[in-house]
Amino acid sequence: MSGARRAYAPGRPGVGRTVALGLLALLTLFPVILVVSTTLKTTQDVRANPFGLFSSFSLENLETAWTVGDFDSYLLNSVLLSVPSTVIVVVLSTMAGYAFARLPFPGRTLAFYLVVFGLLVPFFAYMVPLYFQLRSMGLLDSLLGVNLVLATTQLSFGTWFMRAFFSDLPTELEQAGRMDGASEWQLFRRVMVPLVTSGMGALAVFTFLQQWNNFLVPLLYMPGGGYRPLTLGLYLFIGGRSVDIGPLAAGTLITILPVVVLYVVLQRQVTQGFLSGAVKG
Amino acid sequence: MLLVAPAVLLMAVFLVFPVLNAVYYVFVDFDGLDTSPPWVGLANFTELARDEQVWAAAWHNLIWIVLGTVGPLVLGLGLALLLWGVRRGSTFYRVVFFLPYVLPQVAVGVVWGWIYAPTRGWLNRGLEAIGLGGLARGWLGDPDTALYAVLGTAIWTATGFVFVIILSALRNVATELVDAAMLDGANYLQRLRYVVLPQIMPVFLMVTALTLIGGFAVFDIVFVMTGGGPANATEVLGTYAYSNAFQLSRISYGTTLALVVTALAVPVAVWLNRLQRRASLEGGGA
Repeated sequence: MSGARRAYAPGRPGVGRTVALGLLALLTLFPVILVVSTTLKTTQDVRANPFGLFSSFSLENLETAWTVGDFDSYLLNSVLLSVPSTVIVVVLSTMAGYAFARLPFPGRTLAFYLVVFGLLVPFFAYMVPLYFQLRSMGLLDSLLGVNLVLATTQLSFGTWFMRAFFSDLPTELEQAGRMDGASEWQLFRRVMVPLVTSGMGALAVFTFLQQWNNFLVPLLYMPGGGYRPLTLGLYLFIGGRSVDIGPLAAGTLITILPVVVLYVVLQRQVTQGFLSGAVKG
Repeated sequence: MLLVAPAVLLMAVFLVFPVLNAVYYVFVDFDGLDTSPPWVGLANFTELARDEQVWAAAWHNLIWIVLGTVGPLVLGLGLALLLWGVRRGSTFYRVVFFLPYVLPQVAVGVVWGWIYAPTRGWLNRGLEAIGLGGLARGWLGDPDTALYAVLGTAIWTATGFVFVIILSALRNVATELVDAAMLDGANYLQRLRYVVLPQIMPVFLMVTALTLIGGFAVFDIVFVMTGGGPANATEVLGTYAYSNAFQLSRISYGTTLALVVTALAVPVAVWLNRLQRRASLEGGGA
């Protein structure tokens, strides 16, 4: 019996399995290692031996990307586009999720269809008309417009996600709150919201990463380039005639570093968000 | 009511309105400037059906859908089986294998561009090292390989996603049944085929549907790595729709393409929805 267990669900991997897993992990990480290595090389070394691993050390590529490559402002813009849109998504989704889970209100069914509609229709389907709509609203190239669009792309999912958390709460809490004479708003704000903070946290992390990684929305709706985020800056960098690999690597590192750190620290929440988010397709 | 109002308002303005507009664009010929574009009926659709580039792009999407689904499924399942039951370091491996899925596609495209580089790229170096130097080439610049090179990158990204979902499904597999099959003399493949896979089938099908849907709408990674080139070798419906709408000012035509791409994915989405009623993703990340 113990032999059978080991064959399919062993507590400790055999040598072969450990080696295989280690090699595969290394292979998976290789592109990330390549970015770090290339970033940390000297300019001459990059020119002579662009992809050799860790063959020299210098911070000049980071400096060039930061100062000449404009990655300092791209980073700021990424923050300006990810943070407000994430806050909007989390706040509005929590409110709407609560209403859908707990409150009867006129037009509820219709509003819920709207949420489902948002889950089903990809951004791709309406990206073109939205460009002209934003243009006529004067919202192209504006932080406000792009933040609102980014927020809306995640709003259906957020509402759906938060609704599940509120649905799981026992009804006794609500009744107790009502008995104590709490108003609807107080009940929501003081009783219910504190109970779903873990859900809000997971939603916040997931949404933030989605907005940070978003490429198409700023590409389309920031045509003037006033507030280019990192993803777009990186794309324009490769589009340039003379691609300077060193600073490009540094720019790539600046773009992925916040993502990697956030993911490694909060991997559980991130994975949970991505797995539920996959439903959106 | 008031709690839902802001969300509903945003969705009405930035989702419903543009979708309705998209439907309107399909039946007119809008060039981006004309305030009352001429009505053309179904002309956009008939043009689309006759456009050879559409068919070429659709063919690329089909290749993408098949390989981009089979690849991550096989690799993800393999990885999950390899890690199944391993306790020591299992969190580490999970974090590592899922990482590519979390990274921005633009950054992924940049790095893989170096791996595929014609001179001193790591793929060519690796081939030389194992005596296959004759195969070396500029993988993204060669029309024969560009699509598969980009696909390879996409598979690298999607495998981790499949892996995590399947691994969490494997946790619920009844190991007693596997043990029993083993005592009955079933070998590894037989146990896999007749005992393990049937138990994770609902989740397996769901992942299949998800990766299929991704294959219809593929855009970012192709756009970043090759922009549809060289010589349209990697043009997919998504990039073709984009270039029509935003580079050629053929707005109505581009919109029609985008809507058709969306519509093609609908049957798969419906199928996915049915599957989800049977298998729940809840707690998959734990």
